[in-house]
Amino acid sequence: MKTDKLKSSDILLAMQGIVKDFGGTRALDQVDFDVRGGEVHALIGENGAGKSTLVNVLAGHFSDYKGLITFAGQDVRITNPRQGRQIGIAVIFQELSVLPNFTVAENIMLGEETGARWSRKMDRSSLNAQARQTIDLLRFDLDPDEPVGRLSRARQCMVEIAGAVRRNVKLLVFDEPTACLGSEDVEKLFSVIRELKSRGLGIVYISHRITELPRIADRVTVLRDAKVVGTRNIAGCRLSDLTRMMLGHDLTEFFPEKTNRPGKTILKVHGLSRPGVFEDISFELREGEILGIAGLVGSGRTEIARAVFGVDKASGTLEFQGATVPARSPSLCRRLGIGMVPENRKREGNITGRPISENLNISILDRLAGTLGFQSPRRLALQAGRMVERMRIEPPIPKTNIQNLSGGNQQKVIVGRWLAAESKVVIFDEPTQGIDVGTKSQIYRLIMDMACKGRAIILICSELLEITKLADRILVIRAGRLVREMPGPETDEDTLLALCMGKGKSE
Amino acid sequence: MRNDDKKQTVPTLWGNLSFQKLQRASILVLLLILCAIASFNTPTFLTWYNLVDNLFTNTAALGVIALGMTFVMIAGGFDLSVASTTAVCSVVLVLVMNAFSSCGAPAAITAALLVTALVGTALGAVNGVLIAYVGVNPFVVTLSTMLVFRGLALILTGGGQSLQVADIALRNRFNWIYDTKLPVFGHDHQIMLPIVIFLALFALGIYLLKFTRFGHYTYAIGGNEEAAWLAGVNTRRVKASTYALCGFTCSVAAVIFLAMTATAQPEAHMGRELTVIASVIVGGTPLGGGSGGLVLTLTGLLLLQVIENLLTQFDIGAEYRPVVTGLIIVVVVTIDVLARRRGRT
Repeated sequence: MKTDKLKSSDILLAMQGIVKDFGGTRALDQVDFDVRGGEVHALIGENGAGKSTLVNVLAGHFSDYKGLITFAGQDVRITNPRQGRQIGIAVIFQELSVLPNFTVAENIMLGEETGARWSRKMDRSSLNAQARQTIDLLRFDLDPDEPVGRLSRARQCMVEIAGAVRRNVKLLVFDEPTACLGSEDVEKLFSVIRELKSRGLGIVYISHRITELPRIADRVTVLRDAKVVGTRNIAGCRLSDLTRMMLGHDLTEFFPEKTNRPGKTILKVHGLSRPGVFEDISFELREGEILGIAGLVGSGRTEIARAVFGVDKASGTLEFQGATVPARSPSLCRRLGIGMVPENRKREGNITGRPISENLNISILDRLAGTLGFQSPRRLALQAGRMVERMRIEPPIPKTNIQNLSGGNQQKVIVGRWLAAESKVVIFDEPTQGIDVGTKSQIYRLIMDMACKGRAIILICSELLEITKLADRILVIRAGRLVREMPGPETDEDTLLALCMGKGKSE
Repeated sequence: MRNDDKKQTVPTLWGNLSFQKLQRASILVLLLILCAIASFNTPTFLTWYNLVDNLFTNTAALGVIALGMTFVMIAGGFDLSVASTTAVCSVVLVLVMNAFSSCGAPAAITAALLVTALVGTALGAVNGVLIAYVGVNPFVVTLSTMLVFRGLALILTGGGQSLQVADIALRNRFNWIYDTKLPVFGHDHQIMLPIVIFLALFALGIYLLKFTRFGHYTYAIGGNEEAAWLAGVNTRRVKASTYALCGFTCSVAAVIFLAMTATAQPEAHMGRELTVIASVIVGGTPLGGGSGGLVLTLTGLLLLQVIENLLTQFDIGAEYRPVVTGLIIVVVVTIDVLARRRGRT
């Protein structure tokens, strides 16, 4: 399209001194940010650092920001979403805005259809032809006639991108695009982004996963506490430096000291397989040990954890405290003393609409029952109160509905659930996803505390730094296979990332 | 916008409670207003005869089913087959009593009660297993079992004729369940046995729902089934149990109905499943579950019954009653939805 008129080195977007307040809190404080044509500029930061606010400024969701925006050589003020699109900025949010029952072509051409207004049977052949043009231009692998609902998320994303390109977009903003993609889809998306880049489009890539940046970004800007910490070229930049910029802490302060002492074996997993997902996974877990499982998103790490906890069916044997566990299910695992903090807090963790107290007590009701199965309200309240205090849950009112808590406090409730259950083995799947820095640190400490008390921990995490700082041993999972075991404390995150991606000499 | 985790305001304890209380109070206030209108209009409304003998006793059987339905609905489910299940149970009651009538009344009645309770529970369990273990949508399952169970009642009666207990002595003994009056408040103020049965089950239900693990799990499943499952709750068993429990309450209702009418009609109670579901919803247990309770169901039940009573008093034709009932349900539920939406922001 017209984008090829832009020279790739030109500054496409320049944002200067952007300020945005929400009530009393400053979400963006004098932020400078620029993107060149043909460049992928990553924007990273912890939760609440201001990434999303900056995107929303670009998308035109706020009309009351301060500062200067120059786009394609012209000063602009973006005050509504329509305007952003008109001047050539498109944001691909995590929740895609495609229509699942419409075909690929209909989605791409949405709003540009020619033909009779009231008939959906418009000129389909010309519609498809025009859509095909865009698809071919981008070298996407899409069939114009296929309903979008049948496509994978990555392909749906392509449809949305194609629609944007069709409308002469010059700058594409991706808001955490890989958050719910599998590894194959991530590859596909990355090659799409590279293609767009080669066409001279500017790309803003937002993520909290540092590990994927070397594969896709040219430059990276780090935000912290509403301010820009710095902008770096990815080439020659170390992941650990970026992490330090993001956290702004000295790492020794942020992570607890490793004081746990692994004891005797408590859990043995042998030959765990689920066709097409993971194969022949065997490992042992010792009391007081933190076992990290590292791997890219979609490598099968979450599925392995779910299989151990009995959520999904898988072949292979599980030996707990010397005895084989037969037909596994979460309720059986709970009674044996295995717990899991699931990956998706909202969908799999929170018991929605119920108070903190019930969410905390749900896994220990059989222990609290008196005669005739009587659940004494007083005892339940006492137990919940103790846990709320111990986990420092805010607000410290056990009757508050769980969905009214912040993400970090919700996570504390879920962790508290298994702490109360005194589970001997606890699986943490992405325990710090989407929570603020302070709570993160608190959760690391809790995990370390549990290990010190002899609990065995399985820790799955996208943030490799967390794993290297906490785990005693690290299992590296790639494409559903256990490729290597690394000693925790001596491994640095760059090596670990190389292993996860299959670049290191591992086998 | 995105990042909404941080911006959510946290309601205070007071805010939470007052909101809930307000909701409950609104239905109670409506109930009281209607009662007031009724008693102004007809002085006989507030008499013991009208309230206890007439209104409550007629409500007892349906109320028993509503207890079971409340469990099912708090767990996020739904049961359209209750009226059919009740019909099957009535037929089974009569058949078993006839079969055992030679063994003497006490034996025949005991056998009939036991078998009926089993049949009711089993029919409920069929729903439960299909929904909880196989994973079929509750609407589809109970819609089909509604038809199947109704057919079963027709088959058992050999094509739809009404059944009666053949032995007159036995029949009279059984009717004792309905006729017995307990002089709880003196001889002028007697309470009939169905009310006692209902109240006993009501108390038991409250114990189950509020003070046992089963009840806590029921709420948790309605709140978020996936999360409850991952917290180590055997959600399938609990869910199936709520349907079995609902089936059991149908069998109890069948006993009361049969004692009341003395005949088992395989086509009886058609459409009653909707009245039951309506009273649970009007009471304040939402479709989708996760909250609600038996006291709420009782208010909903009484509200619908008082309205019915009022319509009779004002001599409004039977053809208008469904319209009025339907409107009441829509209005109450709409107010509830609006209040919740308010409460959220």
